[in-house]
Amino acid sequence: MDSHATVLLRAALVLYSLGLLDSLYSLVKQRRKLFKPALYAFALGATLHFLSLALSGRALGRFPVQTFQQLCSMASFFMTVVFLAVYARFKYQSLAVFAVPPVFLLALVGSLGGPAREVSRPVLQWWISIHATLFLLGYAALFLTCVAGVMYLIQEHELKSKRPNAFYYRLPPLSKLEDIGRVALGAAFVLVTLGLIAASIWAFAKWGASWLVDPTIALAFLTWGIAFVMVIGRMAAGWQGRKGAYFSIAGFACAALTWVVNSGAHTFMSQ
Amino acid sequence: MSIQLVGMNHKTAPVAIRERLALSDEDAVALAGQLAGGPRLDEALVLSTCNRVEFLGNGEPDELRGAVLRHLLDRLDKEALAEDALYVYGERAAVRHVVRVASSLDSMVVGEPQILGQVRDAYRRATDAGTLGGPLGRLISQALRVARRVRNETGIGRTAVSVSSVAVELARKIFGELDGLSVLLIGAGDMAEAAARHLRGAGASHLYVANRTFSAAESLAASFAGRPVRFERLLELLQRVDIVLSSTGSPGFVLTRRTAEGVIASRRNRPIFLVDIAVPRDIDPDINAVDNMFVYDIDDLQQVAEANLKHRRREAERAEWIVEHEVEGILNRLRASRAAPAIVSLNQRLEDIRRGELERYGSKLRGLTAEQRAAVEALTRGMISKIAHHPIREAKRRASDPRSGFTFDDFRRLFGLD
Repeated sequence: MDSHATVLLRAALVLYSLGLLDSLYSLVKQRRKLFKPALYAFALGATLHFLSLALSGRALGRFPVQTFQQLCSMASFFMTVVFLAVYARFKYQSLAVFAVPPVFLLALVGSLGGPAREVSRPVLQWWISIHATLFLLGYAALFLTCVAGVMYLIQEHELKSKRPNAFYYRLPPLSKLEDIGRVALGAAFVLVTLGLIAASIWAFAKWGASWLVDPTIALAFLTWGIAFVMVIGRMAAGWQGRKGAYFSIAGFACAALTWVVNSGAHTFMSQ
Repeated sequence: MSIQLVGMNHKTAPVAIRERLALSDEDAVALAGQLAGGPRLDEALVLSTCNRVEFLGNGEPDELRGAVLRHLLDRLDKEALAEDALYVYGERAAVRHVVRVASSLDSMVVGEPQILGQVRDAYRRATDAGTLGGPLGRLISQALRVARRVRNETGIGRTAVSVSSVAVELARKIFGELDGLSVLLIGAGDMAEAAARHLRGAGASHLYVANRTFSAAESLAASFAGRPVRFERLLELLQRVDIVLSSTGSPGFVLTRRTAEGVIASRRNRPIFLVDIAVPRDIDPDINAVDNMFVYDIDDLQQVAEANLKHRRREAERAEWIVEHEVEGILNRLRASRAAPAIVSLNQRLEDIRRGELERYGSKLRGLTAEQRAAVEALTRGMISKIAHHPIREAKRRASDPRSGFTFDDFRRLFGLD
């Protein structure tokens, strides 16, 4: 990774961690005003993160998702973007406390990457970039669905146990967590679908049917399938509440699995 | 001059005493006018609520206490007024007490919102009547500011502590906003009706009332601007409404788990909040285990109310910290505001002396030229300002340090300013 890119990514990491600490503090103290600096830290962190990715992209001459570390860094950037978008819509500071730690960890892994390697065969780069961007944004949205699901389960437990603890006072109402989950799931489904359509058309043109046997592609289809089932479940079968939350978490777990398996380029690309 | 406070509250005097001393708004203003009318008190304020009667004054030390005791003994026998029923506070304690009262830290239910409005109204009335307008007036307005800060920065007033308002708070935790939600009231009972009223006030738009006797449902529905429904239609309504308040005299469950499971399926899992205020209970507590159904009985509501009260007490500790911090600032400003008139009068007095002396020597100075006269003026002015400089600086420094015990009253006496 380019040294400037590394410095920028580390600066973004520092900002994310400062933002996270401030979010925790403002949530514990239940003071909305204190959350403002955290929001600025996340936004500035995301900006530096973007610059870092742009620099490594330029150094590589392609979309910087070659290594596992690069993929982590890219994913955490999109997760921050989606988190900020969801915050802008719903304004619950508790979201930060649940959503930012994984973002931070991924960015941390991303910052441990070595210098950029030259890749011999850059094929239709802009095309892969669109596919990867759509997919990663979709994953980030699924991640937010999962976060909303976890928060839902905690708040639901508080309400069912009838013994309000710290979370009861600090987490959003159940209906709002449902709304966040629904909006994020809808976005995830659209993004993953578009990403998959784009990738399929392109891969057919390039390699014919041989890419279909690639295991990560199969998992990607599985992720899409899960997102599809979740959307249908919510819309047609009325999956709400605990069941919906469990499915959100399971759906994201599956997506994350695809993602871990898919560390770097797909196997068929090097064929 | 100092600020003093004499008062009694729910902790020091029983309601039997407080009710005999409680004053109407007009009487409170009139009494404050009497107190501030005397030569030894400049300002006065009387605050009378159901939990407290407080007298505040700005004037000579101990003046307020005597005046208040005379007033109280007119209304009560000496025996009725227990020794420790009254508290008497000097400036520091009085400032702290007023700020705590306005911030609802001295209330029976800590964090209750009414007291802030009561203090604000008393302040407005007293200002209009002219019994406030100096340091005491500024103190009250500062206390109101701190109270607003405490409300904004702590969760002291954010949670519900009465059973009926807990039902509203829980509904908000489930549904978010209550606008447009519908409520079904089954049976009749004071607490269920209070909860229904609370929910209505919080935005719930439709209210249905079901009762085994339809006429009872009709009359209750009329008082809520709700709709009466026949008891037989209960199941159908359970599929539609969001919140159910049940308070019937039925010996068995009105809603069993088996029925509830059917209800939630036909609602397509739309959440429902069931509040059971009846004893014996109307709603099978097992229903709480069903996804998207939340059942609270009277003990559960009580339990949440207690947890909220504990939460309030924790927030109250933070509020106390804010108060302590603010009280120091208010006391410092109070001292500084007293320093200004004392310094003005010292300068005035020295100037009077200077002019007097120049006049006394007028005949001897008559022969001076205009230039020499100007020099004498400058010389004498310079002398008095140099003489006054050090004592003023030292007095300001000492007055801002509460441990020194120095006040601007000492300063006035030292220079014979009164």
